[in-house]
Amino acid sequence: MRVAVLSLSSCTGCQYVLLSLEEYFYTLIGENAVSYAPFLLDQKELPEVDLLLLEGTVRNGDDFRRLREARQRAEKLVALGTCACFGGVPGLADMVSEERMLRMRYGEGATFEQAPPGVKRLLPVDAYVSVDAFLPGCPPGEELLKDFLKLALSGNLPSRMGATVCSECKVTASPPSRDGFRRLLSAVPEDGKCLLEQGFICMGPLTRDGCGALCPSSFGVPCGGCRGPCDEVLLPPFQDPCLETLRRLARATGLSPKAVGEQAKDPAHSFFKYCLAEPLLRRRRPGGTARFLYRLGE
Amino acid sequence: MADMVISTVTRISGNACIRLIRDEAGNPREAWLQAFGYRGFDIMLRGSHADNLVPVVSRICGGDSVFHQVAAARAVEECLGMEVPAEASRVRELAMWGQLLERHAVSLTVHSLPDLLLPSSDPSLRNIISIHRVDEEVVRRFMALKSLGTLVLREAGGKAVHAVNVVPGGVVRDIGEAKRRELLERMSEARSLLVETARLIKLLLRRNEDVVDSLGEESAPCLALAPGDGIGLLGGKAVIAAGEGGERVSLVPGELRASIEESNSGHSHIRVAQIKGVGDVLVGPLARVNVNGGYGSELADAELEELKAQWGFPFRRVMLGHAARILEMIHAWEMIKGLLEAPPGEGLRVTATPAEGEGTGVVEAPEGLLVYGLRVDGDGLVKGLSITAPLQFNIGSLERCLLEGARKAGAGTEGEARVSVLLETAARSYAPCIPCALH
Repeated sequence: MRVAVLSLSSCTGCQYVLLSLEEYFYTLIGENAVSYAPFLLDQKELPEVDLLLLEGTVRNGDDFRRLREARQRAEKLVALGTCACFGGVPGLADMVSEERMLRMRYGEGATFEQAPPGVKRLLPVDAYVSVDAFLPGCPPGEELLKDFLKLALSGNLPSRMGATVCSECKVTASPPSRDGFRRLLSAVPEDGKCLLEQGFICMGPLTRDGCGALCPSSFGVPCGGCRGPCDEVLLPPFQDPCLETLRRLARATGLSPKAVGEQAKDPAHSFFKYCLAEPLLRRRRPGGTARFLYRLGE
Repeated sequence: MADMVISTVTRISGNACIRLIRDEAGNPREAWLQAFGYRGFDIMLRGSHADNLVPVVSRICGGDSVFHQVAAARAVEECLGMEVPAEASRVRELAMWGQLLERHAVSLTVHSLPDLLLPSSDPSLRNIISIHRVDEEVVRRFMALKSLGTLVLREAGGKAVHAVNVVPGGVVRDIGEAKRRELLERMSEARSLLVETARLIKLLLRRNEDVVDSLGEESAPCLALAPGDGIGLLGGKAVIAAGEGGERVSLVPGELRASIEESNSGHSHIRVAQIKGVGDVLVGPLARVNVNGGYGSELADAELEELKAQWGFPFRRVMLGHAARILEMIHAWEMIKGLLEAPPGEGLRVTATPAEGEGTGVVEAPEGLLVYGLRVDGDGLVKGLSITAPLQFNIGSLERCLLEGARKAGAGTEGEARVSVLLETAARSYAPCIPCALH
């Protein structure tokens, strides 16, 4: 197969996973014609390809042009990584308008003659072009990517369906600790026990599986939601990641959801870290954009 | 005469283009590295709880993720007066050296090796996939060094990209005894590979001496952390050294942050960082060895002596950055071994009650100093955040090098393709990290 890898605005982390596939990397470059991958090859123009792995988000007109070209020249287009699938962490910038962000960074009246026009809103790539398959993950783990590529390169694109991180988590469910709402900065969770039940914000119940629940199971760190929202969140009647987590935390702490919500003072960063740009969740964002802008001191 | 534009620059981290501006006679007047698409991490994090700071800043750059995490964590720790336990510092350092090894291996092997190995081949052949087709072994051997770095990073950080082990106050997990032994075993196998790679890079630089010379020298003062006993990634004062025997200025992290002056270049979203009263400074592997005079580890210093004898010291030719990278990989290897062999310390993390405060986090990232400034309020929410990435310091030097290269290549007489190759080679000498600079 003719394969291409294209990066829009991104952290390039997904590329590092591609380079970390060990033996499979050599199989990949040996059995397929990798014809475009700017981090590997000098090829400047994207040729016609059978499979294109696209990572990152559309930040400006340049990214949009490249995405459109990619769609036109690729038989199958795969959104690789949570940025491409749901907007990812860079989607948090959606809290501030592009103009204001540039003003805050570069000062009043700063101009960049050759800068491509910025986008008004950050959106996942499927808001611009049709996408044939999604592989979320920040970044997707090596095994996950390897399995995905094996399937994709044999002509079978895996679907987006999935269970939740909790279904893979090895910690034990325990009676609620009733220790109140807690943050990692000020409290050390008990090992091997459900973090939500201990009063920590863990997005496991609302995050798609596939990571092996590494963070909560092996590190005792709450799930941040880096594989993106699970199907229950993205399909009607659309669960609200913030409200659902607050309800669970309320059960664990014995407080009311409202009381927990008042203590979790950064709803965008805590509940929508990887999916604030996802259009399906726009109406679920607590308080809408205005509240976030207020929190930024506007 | 119309500008010459190389879009996009390939085999670097991120998306950027090079624009060469020429006068009517075709002589290069200015050369720019242009990158657009500032992502606003420092702005979007306002209002975020300190808990969310570390995982979010990690997403600025996959290749330097641990460095962003540690710099941010250190800023939080300074804000709240947290004393990180020694064992946690050790695990963090291991993760950082692991990622440095990985990052340098990618810069050298995937990005720059084809330039050094096949300087006059067709661009379509100048990549590791083509090299792999004719000599599988050489690519595998080089990539083994990248894998070694990834392995250390995965064990110390929990994940190879966007580690999960670093939290404000320390780390959440130690490396188990069995893993420690396994890592040590893997490290011992890498010695000959590193020495061999260093020999090859030195040989290739000698063979490409005309290219090394045509990219010119950088005379700006060097800025790096100077822990006192060689090159380190954490701790010590930041030192600005003007040259051998020249003036040296030492700054504690807070002073360093206060003396950074950022300005717009007008042609790129990468803001230029300079030091007040000094101007442009060079950061990164070359600056680190120039400031510290040596690595502080046996094997790396032995290799350094050989380089000093050939190229003089301090290193001024920008392309020697590649040599500094491989030597730093050797140093990283020795540091990792030392950190793994040392008896485990006590304590992994401390906690703190949110309080108003201000702090600075400074670390040496693979391509230079990374500086975080942070203010938090009484709830532990971020009130202000500033990030200065290595490429912001180096951009002035990089653009001077591009111009020098274009002038030496004689844009009028040689084909555009030749100039284009040279300019991209010049840019890769700095291993520019666009995602970091466009945080």
